[in-house]
Parts: sequence; C-alpha cells; structure tokens
Amino acid sequence: MQKFNFKISGAAGEGIKVAGLIFAQTAFRQGLYVHGYTEYPSLIRGGLNTFQVCADVQPVLAPEAKFDLEISLNNPSLGKPKNIFAVGFACARLGLNLAALQTVIKETFVKKTTAVIKHNLAAAEQGYKSCQNPLQPIARPPLTNQILLSGNDALSLGAIAGGLKFFTAYPMSPSTSILHFLAAKAKKTGIAVRHGEDEIGVVNMALGASFAGARSLVATSGGGFSLMNEAIGLAGVSETPLVIVNAMRPGPATGMPTWTGQADLLFAIHASQDEFPRIVLTPGDPEEAFVLAKLALNLAEKYQLPIIILTDKYLAESYFTFNTPAVKQTNQRYGFASTQNLDTNTPFLRYSDSKTGVSLRTIPGQPGGVHLANSYEHDESGYATESSGERIKQVDKRARKITTILKDPEMVKPKLFGPKSAATTIISWGSNKGSLQTALKSLPDTNFIHFPCVWPFPKQEFLHLINKSKKLVTLEANSTGQLNQLISQVTGIQIPSKILKYDGRPFYPEEIINQLKQL
Amino acid sequence: MIKRTTKINPTWCPGCGNFGIFGALRLALDQLNILPHQLTFVYDIGCSGNMADFSYGYGFHSLHGRALPIAAGIKLANPKLPVIAIIGDGGCFGEGLGHFISLARGNHDIVVFSHDNYLYSLTTGQMSPTTKKGTITASTPNGSVEEAFNPLANAIINHATFVARGFAGNISHLSALIVAAIKHRGFSFIDILQPCVTYNKNMPYDWYRKHIYQLEATDYDPTNKIMALQKSLETDRLPIGIFYEINKPTYHEQVLPASPTTLAEADISHINLPS
Repeated sequence: MQKFNFKISGAAGEGIKVAGLIFAQTAFRQGLYVHGYTEYPSLIRGGLNTFQVCADVQPVLAPEAKFDLEISLNNPSLGKPKNIFAVGFACARLGLNLAALQTVIKETFVKKTTAVIKHNLAAAEQGYKSCQNPLQPIARPPLTNQILLSGNDALSLGAIAGGLKFFTAYPMSPSTSILHFLAAKAKKTGIAVRHGEDEIGVVNMALGASFAGARSLVATSGGGFSLMNEAIGLAGVSETPLVIVNAMRPGPATGMPTWTGQADLLFAIHASQDEFPRIVLTPGDPEEAFVLAKLALNLAEKYQLPIIILTDKYLAESYFTFNTPAVKQTNQRYGFASTQNLDTNTPFLRYSDSKTGVSLRTIPGQPGGVHLANSYEHDESGYATESSGERIKQVDKRARKITTILKDPEMVKPKLFGPKSAATTIISWGSNKGSLQTALKSLPDTNFIHFPCVWPFPKQEFLHLINKSKKLVTLEANSTGQLNQLISQVTGIQIPSKILKYDGRPFYPEEIINQLKQL
Repeated sequence: MIKRTTKINPTWCPGCGNFGIFGALRLALDQLNILPHQLTFVYDIGCSGNMADFSYGYGFHSLHGRALPIAAGIKLANPKLPVIAIIGDGGCFGEGLGHFISLARGNHDIVVFSHDNYLYSLTTGQMSPTTKKGTITASTPNGSVEEAFNPLANAIINHATFVARGFAGNISHLSALIVAAIKHRGFSFIDILQPCVTYNKNMPYDWYRKHIYQLEATDYDPTNKIMALQKSLETDRLPIGIFYEINKPTYHEQVLPASPTTLAEADISHINLPS
C-alpha cells in the first residue's frame, strides 16, 4: 500500500480527537505504523479542531502536509454521529476491516451506555458502507513489539520505569495528560499523585518528597515553569534531586496554549538567580522521552540537582508508533550514606567537599544523618555561613558536578543521522528529530545532528561530529535561534544559516526541504 | 539528655519571643521522647526560620512562604516522621497563604507553628498580614490600610483538624499545646503570639499577659466548630489553648497505598511497567 494521510476537522466538542484516535488505533491494529497530530484552539466548544493520521507500512516519524482524504464535519451529507460516520468512511477508503473498527469503538466507549455504543457502531457501519471507492483491503498481521502512544504517555511510562514515587502537577496545556496518565496508574504503580494548589506548591512539595528520599517529578508548561524558578534554585543550592518537565508552547505569558514551539531553551538553561549546575534534556520522539524520563530520575539522584526535560506540544500530544519498552525495568540508587559508622551526636557532613562535586546524602529518619538542607549558603554540615572561604568552597563544589557529568558515559550525546560526511549538516534539538529524519530521505548530500541533551553542552562530542562538515545549518522552533546562540557561546563557532519557525506549528518535512533549497 | 541544639548561638534579639517558642518545642520533644533523627523540621525564611541553625534535628531551611508544601511533601514520602513547619505570619499568611489553605483543606499531617509577631521583623519591621489596621510601620507611614488577617478563623473554616493559639511567654502552656499538636493526626496549627521586642514596642510581654486568657480555664468544648469560630473572632481579649480538634482521615491515609513501606523506602530496583 501507499502511505495514507487522513485529516478530520470540525468544531471543538464534535469529537474530532476521539475520532482521530479511533482511526489511528484501527490502522495500528491492522499492522500499520501510524502518526497522529492534532491542532485545536484553547476552548471547549466551537473553533476548528483537526486530527490528522498518517498510516504506512513503514515507520511514520513526522506529520505530512498533503492529504489523501480530508473530511470536514461541516459536510451535511454525513450520517450521525458525524465523527464516527467519517471514521467509518475513512477506514473503508484505506481498506481497514469494519469489525476491527467496531472493536476499537466498543473499547473506546466502554463507559458509555449500550444505546450510545449501538448508535456509534451503526454510524461507523453506515459511513463504512457509504464509501464508493475503497482501496485494496489491508491484510497485514499486527506489528510485533510496537506501541501507539502520545509523547506525554511515553514520558510518563519512562518516569514509572525510573522509580518515580511522587508526582505532582497543576494542569497546564500541553503537559496535562502526564497528570492524567499518572493519576490513572497511581494505585497500580504505588506512586503518590497530587494535583496541587499551584505550581509553586507543586514544585516545593516535590522537593520535600525528594529530600525525604522519594524520586519525584513535576510537569508543567512555560507559565508554570516560570513560577517554579525560585524552587529550581532551591534544588540547586540544597542539592536536592528534582525533575521538571516543561512541555513548551508559544509564549510569552499565556501565548498560544495549544500550539507548539521551542523558545524556552535558553530560559531553561538559566532559570533561577545566580549560578548552579543543572541538566537540560531534549527528547526528540516518544522513545527518547521514555528513555530520558527514566534517565532524568536516575541522574537527578546521582548528581543531586535539578533536571529539566524540555518537550513541546507537538511531541507531548502527538501519537507515535514506537518500540514497546521492556516490561521489566531496573534501577540503581545513588549517593546514600550507609547508617553504619555514623555518629549520632554530630551533624552529618551533607555538603562535604568532594572531587566529583557530589556528596553523600542521608534521609530523615536515618540515625547519625542529622543535617540541614539549606536554601542559604551553608557550610559542609548545612548550617548557614557568610564566610568568604566557605562560600567559594560550596560554589566550586556544586559547579564541579558539570565536569563530572560531562565525563559520565550514561549521559546522552548528540547523534548524527545520515552519511558521516555531507555537504550540508543540519543541527537541531528536541522534537524536530522526526521531521528531519523524514526530510533527510529526500535530501542528497545532507546529514543531521540531533541533541537529546543540550546542557551541559557536550562540546567535545559536538566538535567531533562536525569535524568533517562543510556547511552548517541550525533548525529550531523559535525566532532567534537559541541553540545557534548557545553553540556560538560555547564553541565560538558562528553559524549564519538558521531555519526558524515560530508560528506554533511543527516543522513539516516538505518545508524543511524547501527552506534548505532557499538558503 | 537528648541533644536539641547545635553549636551555633541564637542570633535572635535579647527577649525575642522565639526563645520561648524554641524552649517550649524542646520541652515537648523531650516529653514525647522523639530523637533528633526521628523528625524533620522545615523552616521558612524569617526570624523564626533562623532556628534552623540553632536546632539539632533533620531540617530543611526552605524559601519564604514555601515551608508548608515542603513539609507536606516530606510527610507523603515518609509518614512515619513527625514533620514540623516553623514559619512566621508573613510566610504563612502572606507569601504562602495559598499553601496554608490548600494543605489545611487536605488535612495533610503536618504541624504548623506560625510565629505570629504581627510584623515582618527580619526585614526590619514592616506590616504583615496580621498587623492591626491603622498601624504605622516602615512600609505604612500613614497607617496600614488592610484589615488584619485572622489565622485561627481561616484555619477553622478551611478544615484544619487541630487549631490552637499559644503564647511565647507561657512556655509550659505552649509546650503542652505542642505535644498535643504533634500527637494529633492531621493538619495541626498553632498560632503563637510572639512579642517582637525590637520592632513591635506596642505589644510587649505585659500587653499580651493583660489580654490573654486560657480556654482550658473556661467551660469550652473544642469539638464544636461554630464555638471555635466564635472564639477565633474575639479580639479585645485573646484566648489561648485548643480552639478546635477533630479526628478525620489524613491526606496520606487517603492517597498512599496501604503498605508499611514508605515511598522513601520503596524498592525501585525492579519495576514492572503497567499495561
């Protein structure tokens, strides 16, 4: 079969997303790789919602701009409910099996009344049979070892895999479905999930749980991330592990809540006053979101610092087919002092100076571990100090973690896609990865470097990768070229060619190809 | 004797109400026989929070206004620990009011002492949320405009399950309140009347002694919410003692898995992903 790209559109409240997901799930179960992308305004009724699903016999990594079938629910000839009628039609057109579609509908509406389910099944059948020109029936076995999930779902699963024990959030698009996913799985996984009073309460509560020894995560978008800034500094100076997901959307302020962008990179690297080490991870697809969420919880504990995972609306809320993660996951614990040999009458040297910058921790309740985690600058036992020597010692100790992290083989490095040497090398980060991988197939003599971790900046690995590059181009979804600026700051290399997009839409492979031609 | 203090001498002004509160706290912990590693203090930023450097025990000296969510996070991760938040009237009812209300409503099992001196003292004496309307301070030279915040009434209407008022100048009474607050399961709040001898010259120890009376000495039933609310509205005389106490399930009892293993102790070496 040929790649098939279907788009359904209608007003908010007409069931566009559920229809798109039913189509995607039906195609996926019949052995097709699917990619689902949704656009919708920030309202509950009205406006224009779209859900597009691209299905193919090979992996689909990016949204496609050209459609093989578009159905608008404005069309008066559709049976009712229109969304399900439309999906029936689209399934017939692609050659999907009606019974498979009806199974997905039954599962999707499992909590609805029998009458509602019957009504929807009938609409699906009516729509299916109304298609006059179906394509060849798809006769493929289900894909083995593949899963269909959104980026937020994948990230949530990765956090569970990484030993997450406490999650708290305040709803904010496009991060909210992480809260929904984890709240639904809380009982089964033994994770405490709290919808907190505001983002400041959320992040401080996570710090408390982490200080007490539980791996903790929060998720938000730019506005909430702004509110969390002071606590990021608190995590830095108190050396308390903390992982924050910032699912980016266009700003400033409320911006375009349901659209995508990558304009918080430099903000994440610098968030909160003064200087302290942190890690900024930038997953490119759900598979990386899974891996990096797990890694983040491990690294935060290993290095006792804040970690920011930058995703965006496109990655967070799009649906991808990717390799099913292993059911059995393992973790190590890092940095805890053993109770033996600890004196119970003197404070534990929680912030003892060390070559790596990391000191052993104790947790409340542990005999002999009494110390003060401190927001103030402090001495090795945690008590406040304003001494010149102690101040310099602690700033240097914390900063030393960056050198240690850069040498850690567990850290994710920039990755080259395409030929080792090419006339043009595109440099990007985060969720542009799939569109670039797709575009690369049509771009002769071009390769692409993806950054899954932007901070600390992996200078050596990057310089090694661009060693043979002739022309460098950066590509990112912001208006000033933030990675471009960072490369210049860290390496001194000026890259005049920038491809930028900041209209709230993701990069499409076609437009990358066109933009490159114009450079 | 159980070690309760560090080597650092308190930097509070001579006569500061914080000495009395710190003394009452140590007496209460001795009486309950809680060792320094068996509890966690979370300190806010302010004169009261500076106790962090003088008090021996696990502690987190946090941010201004944020002691309460940190305390609640510690409790969720390890409900076996008593968690005590030391916070001033500015942090608790100004910068951090949203946390106070939300955590009280959730009956988070933490102990909250608001060291209420009716002023911001570490920043040299500006009005605080509890400052009486019309008070002249450095930030309100023409008299403060806002009506004073009522901590006890707010705690009661926001479903705190233990609400009391103590006085820094009556250590034995305050210490008994602290023992009761630590023993109570759920959100335990003590608003502590704290003279600020440096910036609040209008309300010295004598002023308080003239204005306070003990609820225990009257015919008072602390399980009656309406009565508690009425008592909390008295301003000409200030009752001290337990205003309100009721037993209800705590936040962690309602959300954590029924397991003796805390989140902090949970084994994460092998995890099976949910389907």
